Amino acid sequence: MARFKHPAIERMEEDITKQMAHEMSDVEMFDFEEFDESLVEKTGYSNYSYWRSTFQAFARKKSAMFFLSLVVLLVLFTFIQPLLPGQIDYFVVNNDPASGLPYRNLPPGTSVELMNGTQHTFILGTNSIGQDLWSNIWAGTRTSLFIGVTVAVIEAVVGIIVGILWGYVRKLDFFFTELYNVLDNIPVTIVLILVAYILPAGVGTLILAMSLTGWIGMARFIRNFIIIIRDREYNLASRCLGTKTPKIILKNLLPFLISIIMLRMALAIPANIGYEVFITYIGLGLPATIASLGNLINVARTMMLSPALRYQLIYPTIILSLVTISFYVSGNAFSDAADPRQHV
Amino acid sequence: MLTYITKRLLRSLLTLAIILTIVFILLRQMPIEGYFANYDKLSKVQIDSGLSQMGLDQPMPVQLFRMFRDLFKGDLGTSRIYRNNVPITEILAPKIPISLKLGGLALLVSLTVGIPMGTMMARHKGKFFDHFGTAFVVFIQAVPAAVYFLFLQLYGTELLGIRMLFDPNDWKMWVLPVFSMSLGNIAYYAMWLRRYMVDESTKDYVQLARIKGLSENKIMTSHIFRNAFVPMIQYLPTSFLNTVIGSIYIESLYSIPGMGGLLVDVIKRQDNAMVQAVVLLFATVGIIGLILGDVAMVFLDPRITLGSKKGGR
Amino acid sequence: MKKLAWMLILVMLISLATSCQPSSTPTAEDPAPVETPDEGDEEEPVAEETNALGDSEAMVYSSLYSGEISSMNYLIEGATNEQTVGANVIDTLVEYNQYGELIPGLAESWEVSDDGLTWTFHLREGAKWFNHLGEPVADVTAHDFVSAAKYVCDPQNQSGTDYMILDLIQGASDYYTTVSEYYGTLGDTDEKVAEESGADFSTVGIKAVDDYTLEYTTVDNYPFFPTCLTYVCYMPAYGPLLDELKLDFGTANDRMYYNGAYIVTEYEPQVRRVYEKNFANWDADNVHITKIELIYNAEALTLAPTMVLRGEIDYAAISNDIVDEWLTSNPEFVSKGRAVPDYSYFYGFNFRAASGDAERLETWEQNNWEPENWDKAVQNTNFRRAVMAAFDRNYSMYALEPDEQARIDVTQRTITPRTFTNVDGTDYSMLPEFDNVDQYFFNPEEALKYKEAAIEELEAAGVSLPVKMVLSYRSDMANWEQECVLIKQQLEEVLGTDFLVCELYGGPADGFLRQVRRNGMYGFMRLNWGADYEDPSTWAQPFAIDDTVRDTDNLREANSYNDMDYLLFEDGDSEMKDLLTTYYAKVDEAKAIADTLPRYTAFAEAEAMLIENAVFIPYYIDPASYQATRLNIFESQYAPCGVSNLRYKGQKVYDDYVDMETYTERFEEWLDKMGVQ
Repeated sequence: MARFKHPAIERMEEDITKQMAHEMSDVEMFDFEEFDESLVEKTGYSNYSYWRSTFQAFARKKSAMFFLSLVVLLVLFTFIQPLLPGQIDYFVVNNDPASGLPYRNLPPGTSVELMNGTQHTFILGTNSIGQDLWSNIWAGTRTSLFIGVTVAVIEAVVGIIVGILWGYVRKLDFFFTELYNVLDNIPVTIVLILVAYILPAGVGTLILAMSLTGWIGMARFIRNFIIIIRDREYNLASRCLGTKTPKIILKNLLPFLISIIMLRMALAIPANIGYEVFITYIGLGLPATIASLGNLINVARTMMLSPALRYQLIYPTIILSLVTISFYVSGNAFSDAADPRQHV
Repeated sequence: MLTYITKRLLRSLLTLAIILTIVFILLRQMPIEGYFANYDKLSKVQIDSGLSQMGLDQPMPVQLFRMFRDLFKGDLGTSRIYRNNVPITEILAPKIPISLKLGGLALLVSLTVGIPMGTMMARHKGKFFDHFGTAFVVFIQAVPAAVYFLFLQLYGTELLGIRMLFDPNDWKMWVLPVFSMSLGNIAYYAMWLRRYMVDESTKDYVQLARIKGLSENKIMTSHIFRNAFVPMIQYLPTSFLNTVIGSIYIESLYSIPGMGGLLVDVIKRQDNAMVQAVVLLFATVGIIGLILGDVAMVFLDPRITLGSKKGGR
Repeated sequence: MKKLAWMLILVMLISLATSCQPSSTPTAEDPAPVETPDEGDEEEPVAEETNALGDSEAMVYSSLYSGEISSMNYLIEGATNEQTVGANVIDTLVEYNQYGELIPGLAESWEVSDDGLTWTFHLREGAKWFNHLGEPVADVTAHDFVSAAKYVCDPQNQSGTDYMILDLIQGASDYYTTVSEYYGTLGDTDEKVAEESGADFSTVGIKAVDDYTLEYTTVDNYPFFPTCLTYVCYMPAYGPLLDELKLDFGTANDRMYYNGAYIVTEYEPQVRRVYEKNFANWDADNVHITKIELIYNAEALTLAPTMVLRGEIDYAAISNDIVDEWLTSNPEFVSKGRAVPDYSYFYGFNFRAASGDAERLETWEQNNWEPENWDKAVQNTNFRRAVMAAFDRNYSMYALEPDEQARIDVTQRTITPRTFTNVDGTDYSMLPEFDNVDQYFFNPEEALKYKEAAIEELEAAGVSLPVKMVLSYRSDMANWEQECVLIKQQLEEVLGTDFLVCELYGGPADGFLRQVRRNGMYGFMRLNWGADYEDPSTWAQPFAIDDTVRDTDNLREANSYNDMDYLLFEDGDSEMKDLLTTYYAKVDEAKAIADTLPRYTAFAEAEAMLIENAVFIPYYIDPASYQATRLNIFESQYAPCGVSNLRYKGQKVYDDYVDMETYTERFEEWLDKMGVQ
């Protein structure tokens, strides 16, 4: 049995023994004590802090820290960008004062005179109706990140709850497996179309449509892990000792899963953003008046073939890739760090 | 085990019926206009006659009963909008083999590349190959498929000196679609296998094996890999289905007459009978895949038990 | 270019004035195609019982398509995409030539009775039906036209184009109703046979007098009647085959017969469709392309341009996004299509957001669109005129057409497009009844005057300012969305956001018309209508009072365009009510007039009322898009209605792509030739 003892627990036991040997006199050591449950708890949770160790392990990885800061900076910048001086709202069509017509497809870095007489440099150029690509990309990133994070959180919360119940409580397995079979096989497209039919198109609708079905994957993922570990010896032991199911779930199973859950969430965010691109591709995405990375990429896809216009595709793709890479790398690092066995 | 599978299969029939019923009800919420190409110019009489033709004027339970009755007789129905008045089996017949072949090849490629890749990455954790593999995985994850598929097609065809559109009789034309379709799965398998293997490699039984003096190769293949592969195996059947359904981009780009875009297409065109048939097909494959996945998991890891067992909770 | 446009109009007027008399096909000397037309052209007429297919590799044209047809049944399909098949494989009684003149087709000649009701057509002998293998099956006779019409008028076939027969042909509507009522009494699984209803198709005004004489009797005096005959529902079909296949007709290429310029030799949906020349066609000499290969690709818009550059296909649409780039880097590939006045776009206001439709009111309120406010505001003429005068059509059209001159060429002053029809040498849109409309179009100063006037009246009516105006578009149409972005910015700039605020609403791609237009989910929107026949009455159809309640759940007693007729049934008096009463009376009056000039004048008067009161704002005819093509589009048939525009007949595939210079040359040449007629 000892083979399967959790390393963290082993370490804790060692710590306790050392402490006792160091601080207590022989007499005290052999004194009888009244049983005091609060004291049991106290020693059980000594100087080892799971989260502190996790963060310490995480901080040691330079690449992870770099990408994490990149994510933070990206997110911050999407909010700061509109407040910077000399920014043009993403929705505004910029007209040429000479002809009164929009400045279409200006290459990146072009400096032109605006209708109000001021000179403006379009850092990333303009799109085919003269909107500023720079501010469009930031507005798009903001929308897409918002969608990605919100959906990931909803999925995680619902998915974890359902997944644990499904995996641990055998009586529910039948019900949830059937529910999964049913829900997983109802084409998302039907749901998307119907939601789009009932509710006005917009960010909220899209989030709803994506989360309506998205949690199933997470739930099943968790369930499979629970099934794998629920009958491991230490859980058997806990059950034999009469530990209540909620406590086993919270104390035995969840910590084991945290690394996996974190990774899964970190990947779900960019996956959701990518999913938004796909939904836009099949024509069920956000209205094109709302800037999103999906819309930007989809509109610009035809331009991959035109060297002079390719920038309209490349820049949103770069941002999307950066977001994904950042989440992926920092998610992986966090998942490594969150594994208690790595806290050596 | 056998009883468990039989039970599951029987239950699956019920599940299928529920899925079809729900899809059926959802479909009936679609706007009437979608059933007519030129609703604007039709008179009330025409619309009514059209609806009764499609059986849509009947109360929903009647319609539902009819659908199941026909299904029971093995009749999938007739397409109305996708291909007017053509039996659905006739439409699906040529599409299924293409999708099977394409999906199968893509899965094969992704397994033969993805598994060694993930194993190598785990083995050389933190070294060059791991970084290289991670870079690949990150790239595939990061760049939207819509963009790199198009890129592969444009430059791949140029590089290989072949035409841009698919031709089933020319093996060269299979290369790019299969390759494109497997990229995502290669990354997926490599990434998760690496993750599970790294997780496993710190476990005590591995250390024991090391202490026993087993060679690193032996530890990797017969201990770590086997344990790490358990969570992966379950997804294999499902991922085959996903590959087929997910080939919508590839099919669109290369003009491949497969099943990938079919579901989205018929849903958008409100060809109810077609939607039901395709959902039935995909759901059947999906459910069988799920059972196969569970069974495979049990075979690989005897510690896992399915269903209720005496003494368990 | 502007000159050209006017010349075009002039030429059209002259040519169309004579279009009802049969005349011989003009034999224009085409520039010799580089690829020699197939030898089959010069062969003796194909002997009976020989196969109609020949050497199909002589002149091949290949292209991608992204929208699959649902069937090839030209008698029931209502959308252009599907009708393209019928247009190319079935010959009609009459057809248009490349200069827009009506010329004999399967009918060698025709005459009309003195009362203008009975049209007699004398059919060409020797025309044959062929199967998909090119084997002759039967002769084309007058009976085939009767069989086809009977099929169209059978309610169980749900023809999408039957209204063209039901509305125009005597007895057709009664026949349809009788059969339909009979079907209503049948159970769901009963076989439906029209004859058993007791209705007799011989009471319908379509008769085969003998094998080669066909007689149509119309409901009223319709001088434009022959122009209807180029439409799909008047095409012939081999009767015994229709009886045999019923609804299966046209669902596969071996489930129909061909008598036209081409035969569909391959039909594999979502894969490819191949047409091969019918060498035995009566007019095979004018069919030059021997094989048309259409390959399905859902990404055609993205891939086709590159495939053209690599020489894999012969045609690609060049989208507005990339056209500038192509004109600079691949100018030798880019030319334009020809704008055809058979489809008109106009902006219209929705007159009912809140009244009498709880569901609609709820949706408007959900979106915070202030429905009650809108209903009051839109009834104010000065408000609408302010919007009309502030609306810079040249600017918003920039989203579709970057070329200034091209924009001017397609911009319309009337809903009935320029060059659609003419009377006594005057184009309909230039009739004196329209003299006043020009002053209401874009003029920022006038707009502000209307604004001032409107503010006073609106405040008196209890309208709160700014008025929220919903601009709706179909969300999958990028150009339309961009157009709305431009309109929003431009209107708000001219009128000020203290007066007008535009809300953008992207409607769903699926069921767009029902959900947005028919459901009144817009304030101000681009609407469109296509001509069914060559008469101005066709352009009043969309606004007609719809007094049949079609579906009580979803539709109301109002037209499906802007619900304005609903106001007629509202209590009390209003400016709009007066206007509409006069308008509908004028349309009814005009319909009853048989003589062309007074008839056209009356329709023009009615139409001008709508424009002057800014109920509708004429916009454009579809600006022909840019394309890379090896065809000379000026060799194709040219028509203001019907399906003749969809034909490949007469066109040749050239070695070189057309560039803008060649395009312009050919365009001028075409105009010159039209001038000669």
